[in-house]
Amino acid sequence: MWATNLKIVGLVVTTVLLYTLVANMIPQLESEVPGELTFSGQVTTEQLVAAGEELYQGAGGCTACHGLGTRAPDLLTDEAGQGNVAARCDRRVQGLACKEYLYQSMTEPNAYVVSGYQPIMPDMRRTLSAAQIWSVIAYLQSLGGEVTVTGEDIAKTEQAQGGAPGAQTPPAGAATASLDPLELLRSNQCLVCHKLGTEGGVIGPDLTAVGRRADAEYLRRAILEPNADTASGYAAVAGTMPVNFGQQLTAAQLEVLVRYLVGRK
Amino acid sequence: MRRQNRLGMGIGMGMALVALAFDPALAFAQEAAGAVREYGNFPWLGARGAIWIAAEVHLMFAAFVLGVPIFGVVAEAIGIWSKDERYDRLAKEFIRLLVIAYSATAIWGAVLTFFLITLYPRFWAHLSAVFEVSMWVYVGLFFLESFTLYLYYYGWDHWKTGRAKLGHLWLGILLNVWGTIVMFIADSWLSYMMSPPTAVTPDTAPETVRLWSAIANATWMPINIHRIIANVVFGGSVVAAYAAYRFLAARTQEERAHYDWMGYVGNFVAISALIILPFAGYYLGREVYEYNEPMGITMMGGFMSWLWIIQAFLIGVLFLAGNYYLWVGMERIPGAERFQPYTKWLLLVLVTGVIVWATPHTMIASREELEAMGGSHHPFLGVLGVMSAKNTAVNLMILTTFLSYLMYRRANKRPVVAWARTGSMVQAAIFLAAAAVVLFYGIYGYYVTAIVRIGFSVYQVLAVLTTIISVMILDMLVLRGAESRGEIRWGQMPVRSQYALFVLVVTFTWLMGLMGFARSGIRQHWHIWEVMRDTSPWAATPALGYAAQMISACVLIFLGLIAFVFWLGGLIEKPALLPKATPAPAASPVPATMPAD
Repeated sequence: MWATNLKIVGLVVTTVLLYTLVANMIPQLESEVPGELTFSGQVTTEQLVAAGEELYQGAGGCTACHGLGTRAPDLLTDEAGQGNVAARCDRRVQGLACKEYLYQSMTEPNAYVVSGYQPIMPDMRRTLSAAQIWSVIAYLQSLGGEVTVTGEDIAKTEQAQGGAPGAQTPPAGAATASLDPLELLRSNQCLVCHKLGTEGGVIGPDLTAVGRRADAEYLRRAILEPNADTASGYAAVAGTMPVNFGQQLTAAQLEVLVRYLVGRK
Repeated sequence: MRRQNRLGMGIGMGMALVALAFDPALAFAQEAAGAVREYGNFPWLGARGAIWIAAEVHLMFAAFVLGVPIFGVVAEAIGIWSKDERYDRLAKEFIRLLVIAYSATAIWGAVLTFFLITLYPRFWAHLSAVFEVSMWVYVGLFFLESFTLYLYYYGWDHWKTGRAKLGHLWLGILLNVWGTIVMFIADSWLSYMMSPPTAVTPDTAPETVRLWSAIANATWMPINIHRIIANVVFGGSVVAAYAAYRFLAARTQEERAHYDWMGYVGNFVAISALIILPFAGYYLGREVYEYNEPMGITMMGGFMSWLWIIQAFLIGVLFLAGNYYLWVGMERIPGAERFQPYTKWLLLVLVTGVIVWATPHTMIASREELEAMGGSHHPFLGVLGVMSAKNTAVNLMILTTFLSYLMYRRANKRPVVAWARTGSMVQAAIFLAAAAVVLFYGIYGYYVTAIVRIGFSVYQVLAVLTTIISVMILDMLVLRGAESRGEIRWGQMPVRSQYALFVLVVTFTWLMGLMGFARSGIRQHWHIWEVMRDTSPWAATPALGYAAQMISACVLIFLGLIAFVFWLGGLIEKPALLPKATPAPAASPVPATMPAD
């Protein structure tokens, strides 16, 4: 019986070792915690690029979507024959230089969405500091173009964030005199981020049955003061909803909208 | 009897440890401690490693003590209605082991609780503030479950006949009810960590979180359902491994016959439940995406994307080992020879399916790796790595496994109904139609958008499920009153088949550890997703290589302990295999396949 026991133990241990070996043979990817990044005013291009590459490949979480061809544009190699991101970044939006376009892409990702992709990119200010964002931009520029990011960009952004909160609030949609709630939702660009039935994006909370979980008071506040509460699961995109609907909507429009959403059950 | 008293004392101590863990005074003490420190440290392993092992081994024992009662009560019920005493003995044999395993579960639960209190005091303070009432209920149910188990086991021979036996069966059902509620409560704690309700933010005082809204969070019910099915799979595979060991150690033909049969039943239960487990997993995955899309992307396409290749490899092993066991088992069934030429083709389908399922596609890769590949996937083989191909592969593998079982089931039977040939042809037509549906949507999926393609998997699954149900019903009708080509020669199973059962239990256990890592790891550096950040030195979620080492350690600890439990169970009572009044299984006029009959 000892021989049988040894065979069983041998089989069990060998099977476990085999699985461990296979799991160690594949690429080893760790989900890192985004760390603090502080640069002096004399930061070099090499330092920025190195920090940016580390963030891009690791804690920044960029590789979950970019470079895979289906969820988001390929930034590292080639996107539809246009080369990597460094080769095309200064041609995307007229009037925006490469680093400005990339900064806008990371902080106001819905301002320009590349054709063929869903607006699923979160505002990276929620998870990365100004220094980290500019480092990633420096890394992306280094893939083929000239690196124009400097310590001054970081300092300016930090100053702007500290001095004028909300200065980068995305522009609101077009105003309308309509009292049709659906038209209001569309014309105010709500459905760019929120889903309603089969229509709309998935960045913000789904409004299809919002009346089941929120009352009129909550919804009114959510529209007028979108940063007052952050829905759980959406912390990464908190701060992206425009805060100027109080000026954009008339009182009647606001109430029509609230009543309509409360009724969505 | 003295042994049993000692055993009872051990269980009592285990329960006392758990009860102590929930003592309000202790909770108060740790709350006070939480004010001065956030994390403790554990020598050598670190806090995360210690918690990992305690939680995983506790979970494995918990799965065993929740899965086996389901198995036991169903076996007892079959024994009552079929009047086949083997089922009753099978059930009792396992409930006896359960009594011992239960104390091990409680001890590991206490270890986990104490580790949480001492190593993660800030997190524990939050969790206990939100869930304190449910923790009291949990402890109360734990007592009820324990005493129901004692009544169920110790009353087995006392309430053996007539109405008393039905009452005894009711105790078994009650045991499962308590166990399921206990699991649901524990699931609410861990699913809250993954998907806290929308109202909870980092600034929310935990005492103000409404208990029910914390319990009924987005992933709670999907995890409950997934775990119930997975526990049945796990329980069945452990039963089969136990039977395999006993088979190999058997000294008489009678023992071999009994444990051969037990191994078959355990494997049958495990594989049957395994077939529906992917659908529960799909439901859980969908809810994760619904709750938070970035979390879903992290799970399937982020740093965890390689994990699913390992999962495909493991499930491939399960399918191959499960089918191999059936094919080898046909060697002891008269009449099975006529099916054996087909097994090589079934093997071909299974191996092809595993290869397709394990083909990587759109994995996270460095710039150098992407350039070396020429894109996000291999230029030729990459076409097999998309969901269209993978869904097709797995559905064909399920159909193949079902066909193996059908051949096993029909091996020693000769139908006598007049329409038997027509019935068999209809069965074959249903199989072919299902395979055609699966293939059609698999190929068509390449030509439509992703959102349309996702919907196709529903049609593929429906085709497979419809086939399994309709073919099974037809088979029962076709084989009504069937003549026997000869009885199954229980006990004359080749020894190599038993090793397949060990491979199955090791793989199931390892897979459980891997999926636990996936579920827990997608929170990344959050104790509670976007509510409480992990600021400990162990906050980073480790790579698969390290995770595999931890999982392997947990698997070996669990299997070592469960082997000890089995050995202990053998010391307590030698099961009387067969009462003299009933014939040996080898000569028993029991149909070729039991559970489905």
